[in-house]
Amino acid sequence: MKRAETSLLPLEDAREAALFFVVGALCFLAALAALTAKSTYGAARAWTAEVEGEYTVSLSDAAPQDAQAATLLVQSVEGVDGARLLSEAEISVLLEPTFGSRGLPADLPVPRLIAVTAAPEAGDIGQALTTVLEEAGYLAAVDSHSAWAGDVRRMLGTARLVALGIVALLASTAIAVIAFATHAALLARRDIVEVLHIAGARDRFIAALFERRFWLLGLRAGTVGALVALASVALLIAVARTSGNRSGLLPELTLDFPDLAVLVVTPVIAGLAARIAAGVTVMRALKSVM
Amino acid sequence: MTQLRPDIFDEAAVRLDAVTLRYDASGEILSGIDLALKPGSFSFLTGASGAGKSSLLKLLYLARPPSTGEVSLFGRPTSRLTRDQLSAMRRRIGVVFQEFRLLGHLTAYENAALPLRVMGRKEAQYRADVEELLAWVGLGERMHKRPETLSGGEQQRVAIARAVVTQPDLLIADEPTGNVDPEMGARLMRLFIELNKRLGTTVIIATHDLGLVRQIEAPVYHLANGLLVKNAPEAGKASRRRGDGIEIKASE
Repeated sequence: MKRAETSLLPLEDAREAALFFVVGALCFLAALAALTAKSTYGAARAWTAEVEGEYTVSLSDAAPQDAQAATLLVQSVEGVDGARLLSEAEISVLLEPTFGSRGLPADLPVPRLIAVTAAPEAGDIGQALTTVLEEAGYLAAVDSHSAWAGDVRRMLGTARLVALGIVALLASTAIAVIAFATHAALLARRDIVEVLHIAGARDRFIAALFERRFWLLGLRAGTVGALVALASVALLIAVARTSGNRSGLLPELTLDFPDLAVLVVTPVIAGLAARIAAGVTVMRALKSVM
Repeated sequence: MTQLRPDIFDEAAVRLDAVTLRYDASGEILSGIDLALKPGSFSFLTGASGAGKSSLLKLLYLARPPSTGEVSLFGRPTSRLTRDQLSAMRRRIGVVFQEFRLLGHLTAYENAALPLRVMGRKEAQYRADVEELLAWVGLGERMHKRPETLSGGEQQRVAIARAVVTQPDLLIADEPTGNVDPEMGARLMRLFIELNKRLGTTVIIATHDLGLVRQIEAPVYHLANGLLVKNAPEAGKASRRRGDGIEIKASE
């Protein structure tokens, strides 16, 4: 039976175990940050899509029958998918955070509200609604929620950039740590490198030994980090579901195909980063000797 | 100082021209060394501890460049070679280090076969040869042991096997018999002589064992105060010039 050749570099020691832990932890954090960035992006799209097709028409000094007529008028506007006049009870609920649960003051001039839903491909119909209502003689204000949606988009865009920045920071930290560790490994194994060098090993031959070692280290550590990230997200999803999924404004947690792709790619990137860092470090170090 | 003859440049296996060596801010370890060794020559290098023998050998096995001057091997100035060409040239050199420098995680067999692996040879091609060589140096039963379980003498024999396994064009040995008994020492010297006679390997042996030097008819170089002297009186012997021996001496 063919016997496998012993690697010319010694098997991993305590120093590599520590590096394994650091790279694994960095990969865990990077995978979580990547998943968070993706979830934030998904949540931003979902929330803004939800409010962008919604309009609220506010009618001041309108009698109930006028409000009904205005609702019918709104329904006839092109691009409107549906329009519904809110009841006084619904308006009370909306204002409850301001006036409390005992109801609205009797003398409070509460406007009539029409909730309008635009058709999916209708675009912005806010101006069309205003024009139709003004031409019909109504004193109406149309709120397209654009300010709120803009705020949400800006906030989530910033959150997404921060998450991507964290991913980049963690990845570059991992590469720096690996480069530092490779240099330390090279110094610790200088005797082996020198013997190989004097035996006539080309620089690429020696670099390949370290590249293979650190590629495997990065791949394994990255796999462990990604699996722990997967377990963490699965746990969060399970907790969210058992607590009634009342996460509200928290980014929605999912584990779909793109998420799994992130988890699969993480160890490959870690391995490649480790391999490249090791190769560059070793080649640079060897250039300093004859 | 003797001037080298231009016509021997191409035929020298080893040639040093006005070579000096200094480490950082320290004084010169080697001063203006000129030397030429014919292919297939056998030479001794002697000198007290700290005289610079190991430093001179480092220049010869291309572990470091000289501070000034030129080291040429096999007719090629090494300062003009690319890194890959230097690696290829190192593969023509076998080195026995004074401190052995075996790889602790490899067995005696794997250590001896190391230069062949570096050369890209397949194990099936060299296995029998390496086993035979190790058996010849008395390690047939212990070739699958790691260095830490071998005695100093056994480790030295592994180091020698590693140096000669490729049948190099140039063999450089630093105190190669320092840790073995006289009988094994004589046997290892016969191995070096055999390589020299049969394969034409140029052999340079650094030693402070004058008894060993007296046993073999070969030119002696002596290092003292950074200068290289041929067949120096302090080496304890008269000049014994061989036809295939040293051609040039320096700083005589």
